[in-house]
Amino acid sequence: MRFRDTFRTALKGVTVNLSRSALTMLGIIIGVGSVVLMSSVGQSIQGVILSQISSLGPKSMVIFPGPEGLGPQGVTTGFDSLTFEDLSEIRKLKSITTVAPVIFVVAVTSYGNEEGNPRIVGATPEFFENQKLSASMGRLIDQEDLDGAKKVAILGSDALEKFFGSVSPLGQRIKIGETYYTVVGAMDPVGSQFGQNVDDRILIPFTVAKNVSGQKYLNLITLQAVDSFDLAFDDIRTLLRYRHGISNPENDEKKDDFMVHSSEQANRILGSVSLGLTMFITTVAAISLIVGGIGIMNIMLVTVKERTQEIGLRKAIGGRKRDILLQFLSESVMLTVIGGIIGMVLGVFLAFVISGIVRNYLSSYAFAVSVQSMVAAFFMALFTGIVFGISPARAAANLHPIEALRYE
Amino acid sequence: MTVSPLIQTKDLCKSYDNDGVVTPVLFDINLQISKGEFVAIMGPSGSGKSTLMHILGFLDAHTGGQYLFQGQPTTAFDDDDLARIRATRVSFVFQAFNLLPRTTVLQNIMLPLLYHPAVAVGEREKLALQAVETVGLMDRKDYVSSQLSGGQKQRVAIGRALVTNPEVIFADEPTGNLDSASGIAVMDALQKLNDEGHTIILVTHERATAEHARRIIHITDGRIDNDTRNFARVIASEKNHLK
Repeated sequence: MRFRDTFRTALKGVTVNLSRSALTMLGIIIGVGSVVLMSSVGQSIQGVILSQISSLGPKSMVIFPGPEGLGPQGVTTGFDSLTFEDLSEIRKLKSITTVAPVIFVVAVTSYGNEEGNPRIVGATPEFFENQKLSASMGRLIDQEDLDGAKKVAILGSDALEKFFGSVSPLGQRIKIGETYYTVVGAMDPVGSQFGQNVDDRILIPFTVAKNVSGQKYLNLITLQAVDSFDLAFDDIRTLLRYRHGISNPENDEKKDDFMVHSSEQANRILGSVSLGLTMFITTVAAISLIVGGIGIMNIMLVTVKERTQEIGLRKAIGGRKRDILLQFLSESVMLTVIGGIIGMVLGVFLAFVISGIVRNYLSSYAFAVSVQSMVAAFFMALFTGIVFGISPARAAANLHPIEALRYE
Repeated sequence: MTVSPLIQTKDLCKSYDNDGVVTPVLFDINLQISKGEFVAIMGPSGSGKSTLMHILGFLDAHTGGQYLFQGQPTTAFDDDDLARIRATRVSFVFQAFNLLPRTTVLQNIMLPLLYHPAVAVGEREKLALQAVETVGLMDRKDYVSSQLSGGQKQRVAIGRALVTNPEVIFADEPTGNLDSASGIAVMDALQKLNDEGHTIILVTHERATAEHARRIIHITDGRIDNDTRNFARVIASEKNHLK
């Protein structure tokens, strides 16, 4: 029997009872669809995180006060472990450069009738360099502002939108707490960095923030590694542990009263998250395809029973064992492959719909399709069809023609 | 040079082994069937006539003695050889028709050609249409089997049996599920095939059906107890030839 005839016969077997074939394929459709959907969503999320990391540059680092585990959200909760003396000593390290201390000021901001609570960040010119922030209009904070403790403000894009809309803010005076500041610039939109919205910020000179807040400690320090991130990380950790009297030979980060985060580190975490995600998707795929495959095997066994007389007839008119085997194997493979293709289309469609919804809340979220995962899902579906179809097909092929013809 | 008979058995036996329980069905069957014969194998239910037909038609294997097909012992054939013989040299008409459901007359008749190694794809439809014509179902070639009467179904089965132009057509109780008029039409069709040179081996328990054959082999309890020429039929056939 020629391959074309086998294919046609199998296709007829699949299409003769469409509703049953569709139900049989459901497991494979859901399995492949979920794999494609999850991998697509995973890739989109990776893209979002990567865009945040790459916006900082590969050598960018941040020192936060407080022990590891609190995350960057802990920076405003009053940990006072990073002192100005720490800053002076850190600046002396050879493995780092562009050290930029930051102080947050908690105050209500108003302009005209508009009032809000954007994060007020006291920063130095190096901060803009470290965070790759650029001016969309006007200028950024310079050394003169810093040295003269000038009451000037730079607006993040969200803050600009909130307080000024489409009106130019340059030269306007906004009130932060009880003090008025002249807006001298605005920044290009950035999105999130280390999990925080950078655009909802107003930046003022570090010296002004220090005076206004009266703080004796820093909320964070941004800096760049000169060369190796690991070397810079070790230097900072050793210095701060020494200065803070922390004995931590086992390097348990929870015992430290500071955290050092970096783009490199985030990249590594992303790598492990990706690996975890891949393993998760593979597990889901394996489970769903096994479930789907068992469904197909079950239906194929029923089909062989139902069509026993047909098998007997095909043998009586010259069908060889391998013709019968290939016919039924082709049917199960056809079910899984068609199911797989439907699943892929469905998965891509759902990923597209989800990306459309999420983009309303997260502009950097982009629709992504993993061709690798689609190819893998397709071949897994094909493999499932073969593995779970072989047993019913062999049962059909091994039927004795007379017993098959007499079967009722 | 002597010409080997088409079918020859020597002390052929068959027994079934069900979990150690051996049931003998056929004993020392010795027969010769030549090309072009029309043979009826008759016997009561359970006599072993269908089993003999299945062995002669390569659907089942004998357990003792010898079965020679055109002088060749069939024990030398492997599964693929047997399948090739069934595809090209023998065919079957069953009592229950065994047509594929939801499949047209033409497609049912074309089915054996899928397994015929020597028929080109482009030839199939032509051969099938010829067979449809032969069995007189041209006006119903696109009907599915559920739209046909019993007699028409059996004619489709005959068309399916002759489409590969086999040397031997085995018919197992071909009129068993038919009314008498349809039965006569089916037997006439088989008679016509025999007149065209096909060897027909018919299994039946009905005397009237067996009377269509020119030779009647009677089996009782797994043994041939009578193998006679049906002279009435032979004479009628000779008369037909002389016309």
